[in-house]
Amino acid sequence: MAPQGQRERGGGGPDAAAQVVLFQLAGKSFAVELGQVEHIIEYREPTRTPRRPPHVEGVLEHRGRYFALLNLRKRFGVAEPGPAHPAVLLITGAGPDPRVGLVVDQVLRVLSLPSDGILSPPPRVFGIRAEYIRGVANAGGRPLVWLDMTRLVSAGEAITLLA
Amino acid sequence: MDVRPLVRRAVRGRVATPVVREQVLLFRVGEGLYGIGIRGLWEVLSPEGITSLPTPQYQICTALAYRGRRLPLVRLGELFGASADTVPPNCRVLLTQGRGKPLGILVDEVLGVVDIDPQRVAPMPALATVLSPALFRGLVGRDGRVIILISEDGLGDMTEVARFSGE
Repeated sequence: MAPQGQRERGGGGPDAAAQVVLFQLAGKSFAVELGQVEHIIEYREPTRTPRRPPHVEGVLEHRGRYFALLNLRKRFGVAEPGPAHPAVLLITGAGPDPRVGLVVDQVLRVLSLPSDGILSPPPRVFGIRAEYIRGVANAGGRPLVWLDMTRLVSAGEAITLLA
Repeated sequence: MDVRPLVRRAVRGRVATPVVREQVLLFRVGEGLYGIGIRGLWEVLSPEGITSLPTPQYQICTALAYRGRRLPLVRLGELFGASADTVPPNCRVLLTQGRGKPLGILVDEVLGVVDIDPQRVAPMPALATVLSPALFRGLVGRDGRVIILISEDGLGDMTEVARFSGE
């Protein structure tokens, strides 16, 4: 990752754009790399698994495959309940399992981020350490945090999202 | 293993791949639906058939007196963090084998026997539980529900059981 404040360059040259899926969580805008998103599905009650971590809701079956369902609000220590009908992002290539489900408040759209519009994060953004962030950008005048899903899913460190 | 005869179905003039089915015993622990292969099961005991059903002691493995023998009894409610304050009225002890040694498994309720396709058993996702993946044979769907299959050998390998057995 480039030093703080410098432009984050992708592998496709200085003008290459990053395709991300934009979603909202607790009133903030986040993004995950489009290539890691296999499906976006509606939330449904998972099968509860024994002795699961607090941010894991259980397992969900989708098209004959099973994946752990992670609640990003709980992962970020957000106490307030989310919307009645959240969305689930099926993420591949993040963590020890082939795919995981990520419960988020709302999926907004696919966004193309030009590489010169992606900044390396400061040490913390909204309380999230830079280790879990691939970059920050401006999306319509609001900060957009591009999350490093692999590190976020794999790490056991508690994270508290700040207002 | 109680396997049904191989089934061959003609599909549009072709012979479909034989379907091998396996029977599993369904049971409940807390709110969870679980299953265990009936191959190793030799008896399901009701509380009346148990000489000394242990009271809740917050121990994963306790003793079971059975026909003059002392067997390890794994309390799945304690192991899975779903134990009740009182012994569930419909609880049962499944007598099976873990690593070839007799083992009792205390469950909250036995629900019946169903057929599954063993080829459709998928591994338990690593992130779904902090328990050892060796305790779970995997997941399988049945009638829109997901059954968590338990591994008898995984239970038999637990430190608590080994300690009980004096190993």
